[in-house]
Amino acid sequence: MSKGRFISSLRKALTEVSYGAALHGQVSAVLKTRMYIEHMFILMILGDMLGFPILPPYYSLRLLPYAVPNVKAWKHRFYRERDFTDVIYG
Amino acid sequence: MVWGLRDIVLREGGPRMVIFAGKGGLGKTTSSAALAYAAALAKKKVLCFSTDPQASLSDIFERNIFGKGEVEVAPNLYVVEIDADAKVGAYIEEVKQRIKDMYKLEEIPPEIEAYIDSSVAEPAMYESATYDAMADYLARGDYDLYVFDMPPFGHGIRMLTMADVLTSWVEKLTEVREKAREYDEIASKLKGERLVKEDEILNELKQIRDKLTTFTDFMRERTKSAFFMVMTPEMMSVHDTERALEAFKSIGLSLAGIVLNKVLPRDFHSSPSPYISYRYRQQESVMRVIEEKFGDLVVAAIPMFPREPKGLDGLREVAKHLVDGVTKLW
Ligand SMILES: Nc1ncnc2c1ncn2[C@@H]1O[C@H](COP(=O)(O)OP(=O)(O)OP(=O)(O)O)[C@@H](O)[C@H]1O
Ligand SMILES: [Mg+2]
Repeated sequence: MSKGRFISSLRKALTEVSYGAALHGQVSAVLKTRMYIEHMFILMILGDMLGFPILPPYYSLRLLPYAVPNVKAWKHRFYRERDFTDVIYG
Repeated sequence: MVWGLRDIVLREGGPRMVIFAGKGGLGKTTSSAALAYAAALAKKKVLCFSTDPQASLSDIFERNIFGKGEVEVAPNLYVVEIDADAKVGAYIEEVKQRIKDMYKLEEIPPEIEAYIDSSVAEPAMYESATYDAMADYLARGDYDLYVFDMPPFGHGIRMLTMADVLTSWVEKLTEVREKAREYDEIASKLKGERLVKEDEILNELKQIRDKLTTFTDFMRERTKSAFFMVMTPEMMSVHDTERALEAFKSIGLSLAGIVLNKVLPRDFHSSPSPYISYRYRQQESVMRVIEEKFGDLVVAAIPMFPREPKGLDGLREVAKHLVDGVTKLW
């Protein structure tokens, strides 16, 4: 996936997830959405690890400590999904 | 027409950040050091900061200041030559320690450690570390004037545009983080809990953003910063300068003026040496082109000295021309 396409799917996801959650108004849906946002965030910080250099490494390292617990599960998940939008829409 | 940098930089309400841009070896470091010294003599508290790994400020001030933090080389004149290698090394260790502390670990998970170590090898790391140090000094605001001695043109500009890229990324991250926080709030409301935990990441992001925007604000504000181009009276330098002016325009920076360095003195004209008088005549024809193309943009001229200007005495000599404008051209 190109960087441009990644960014546009990110933007789309951000607007659509908020709409979706308001509609459902359920804890589980909210938590699920929350998890997807977390995935996006980690992708932005650690994109480098997967060959998507997104944030310059100096500042991504500063945020890395917060992402540590998610790295393994998340890497696995990212490689399993066909496309990043699948990660978002589950 | 303004002549000499005194009226541009050292006046009341003048810029607080000055950067000399230009090709390699034309006199950026010499101009930066001379202006910084003149400003200190004019009772301003000055920081002259070098982004150059070549330790050129140590050389020109004839003091070993490399990696030593802020060193006062004359009253009110502080000089920093950053050791980017050491800064990156310390930063990496800090990140690792942070991970160990946060999760009470003895060892960092190997794949994380490998990732951290691999990022050290990236040249962008050193650039960012230097850049971060510059932004830090500016954000702290301890000085009346900051003179940043940048690497040759291309790199210098890239470092400046990096500020914009970084700021917009930090903004995007903050946006995602704020969304996450919103969802935390919704979830805890639905569950009837109260959300207490501050989002540390959000705080971290805001800190980075504040630092970066201090820098971009300085850069973009005409009243806060002044960019000068250094050139020499040679046709090649004329072409480079024309291109640089375009580049400046395209990234939205305005130029405070052009400094013409290494100008052959007038008495070369009547030199008995045909070689020297020929060189002088050649310079005269380039000068006509410069006047025609850049005219009023040229704000100071520094003669070619018989030896490299070094030490405070040498810099005072340079400053007479650069700052007080004793050499007039047209
Ligand atoms: N007016 C001058 N007369 C004589 N020598 C000069 C003059 N200006 C600069 N020099 C010498 O020219 C060399 C290059 O100058 P300087 O280091 O200031 O350039 P620079 O633009 O900072 O170079 P770099 O791009 O490598 O950082 C130095 O040796 C310096 O002493
Ligand atoms: Mg230099």
